[in-house]
Amino acid sequence: MSDAAYRIEPMDAAASRSTPPTADFVAAPVMPDILPPAKIRRGVARFIYRYPNMAVGGALLFIMLCAAIFAPWLGTVDPTEIATSRRTRFPSATNWLGTDMLGRDIYSRVLYGARVSLIVGFSVAVLASIAGLTIGLVSGMVRRADGVIMRVMDGMMSIPPILLAIALMALTRGSVQNVVIAITIAEIPRVARLVRGVVLSLREQPYVDAAIASGTTTPMIILRHILPNTLAPMSVQATYICASAMIVEAILSFIGAGIPPITPSWGNIMAEGRSLWQVKIYIVLFPAAFLSVTVLAVNLLGDGLRDALDPRMAKRL
Amino acid sequence: MPIFIFKRILSTIPVMAIVALFVFSLLYIAPGDPAAVIAGDQASPADVERIRQNLGLDRPFLIRFGEWVWQIVHGDLGISIFTSLPVRDLIAQRVEPTLSLMVVTLLFAISVAVPMGVIAAWKAGTWIDNSIMAFAVLGFSVPVFIVGYLLAYLFALQLDWLPVQGYTPFREGFWPWFENLILPAITLGFVYIALIARITRATMLDVLQQDYVRTARSKGVAQSSILFVHALKNAAIPIVTVIGIGLALLIGGAVVTESVFAIPGLGRLTVDAILRRDYPVIQGVVLLFSFVYVFVNLAIDLIYTLIDPRIRY
Repeated sequence: MSDAAYRIEPMDAAASRSTPPTADFVAAPVMPDILPPAKIRRGVARFIYRYPNMAVGGALLFIMLCAAIFAPWLGTVDPTEIATSRRTRFPSATNWLGTDMLGRDIYSRVLYGARVSLIVGFSVAVLASIAGLTIGLVSGMVRRADGVIMRVMDGMMSIPPILLAIALMALTRGSVQNVVIAITIAEIPRVARLVRGVVLSLREQPYVDAAIASGTTTPMIILRHILPNTLAPMSVQATYICASAMIVEAILSFIGAGIPPITPSWGNIMAEGRSLWQVKIYIVLFPAAFLSVTVLAVNLLGDGLRDALDPRMAKRL
Repeated sequence: MPIFIFKRILSTIPVMAIVALFVFSLLYIAPGDPAAVIAGDQASPADVERIRQNLGLDRPFLIRFGEWVWQIVHGDLGISIFTSLPVRDLIAQRVEPTLSLMVVTLLFAISVAVPMGVIAAWKAGTWIDNSIMAFAVLGFSVPVFIVGYLLAYLFALQLDWLPVQGYTPFREGFWPWFENLILPAITLGFVYIALIARITRATMLDVLQQDYVRTARSKGVAQSSILFVHALKNAAIPIVTVIGIGLALLIGGAVVTESVFAIPGLGRLTVDAILRRDYPVIQGVVLLFSFVYVFVNLAIDLIYTLIDPRIRY
């Protein structure tokens, strides 16, 4: 709904401007056609009111993003600096979140770790979306390729994503790049399936028939009519993929198949804290809390996006 | 056997073929030359070549794939590089803990999540609904090992109610077995509960709008009976579907949960195999889990026809 619908002048303002009543004409009370909502919200307040999920998720994610980008200026020290004299210290004024068993500052490691998680999450979301979109489009538009492609996707989807990523990581050495590739491959079938479904239903739309009848070329139909309509459901899916990629990255690093310990990531900080968890649980808990909050933020953003893009679904799931 | 059941069973064959091809390629492109490993450091290039020929490693991809499938069909999953034991035996030793964990989790999650979803749909829009849905969002966001450590820290270390880690085989009694599985099952069930509760609520909201629910209500059927008999029965299909699909989450989560709670199951086997680059073991576990996943979902599709006689394939 546009802003205009709510721009109804307050009653008293309208009344004061109207001409004073004459003897033979009594002004009827000013009744607006549409009753204004209890409170008229504009700008940011309105956005927060309408999409609380997206607002909260976006704000949390923004904070996390800033923390990751500005990590060097947020009171951190070198996250890889080993200080054997300060091992496994509890949180204190010098080491805000304590130190790990090599004396490294957990606060610094967690902030730098945010970079890895966010990079992995975003890269996987973008790459899996692009690849899934391409495969889904081809599958949805080219009938002959559809059967084969979808069987391959079904096969890939039959391997639980974490196991698939684990199996792929077993082939290469651990690095951010390889983790991104492994998780992307595991996530592609889901996007491809979604896009194919949307494309198949769009193909039956009257406006696509009309475009075909008026002689629009197939690439143009895809570009103009099909592609734009796949973007909404796909962007929602992309946020969920981002969230799940961050969790899978943490799991991979946690079991030792992900990012090597030299680059701090939330998963490998926890992996290193694992042996000490019974006495120094904070080593595990701080990265865990950061990871949970970030994933929660992305999920909220996704829920909000879904509600905004498909209001019919808003109150259901 | 009705023809549709037959067709549905046939449709799993291409899917499993793709899985097999994928898993085989994994070993095929894996770094390291098995012939060189077997030959040892002292071997000359000619020795390595002879071993390669003896093992049939020099033959084309498709022929090797065919033989590998033939072996698998006969229950031979190869030999572990690290332990030199048959992968089949390694897996067989580890099946019980994982199976126990999954079954307990499944029962626990379903018995908690379905009522949660039903109540959320019944009380839609109230604080009860909102808090259940908030829990569901949280369930999706908190990674499984975090729940694990928190629960273990709280209930095992601080309160000392339950054992911290480990696994007791079932033959040593029900309670010792069950006691060790409580925390892991809650941990692993967390995401699963969120997933099932969400879908249950969504489907129930739809079903509760139906005319026959209004009819039932107007003729005075008890609320609980409307919810759990009239409505839930008709909402069963999507719920059962999600339970099947969610099994993938459960399998992935088991790998981590077993690491947290030191359960010597298939997940631990996988993790150890990765750290040692023991490809035949990784291959075997991935293959096994994928087949289980495919078969469970096949079984669920067949169960549909029991739940809802209208469904035919």
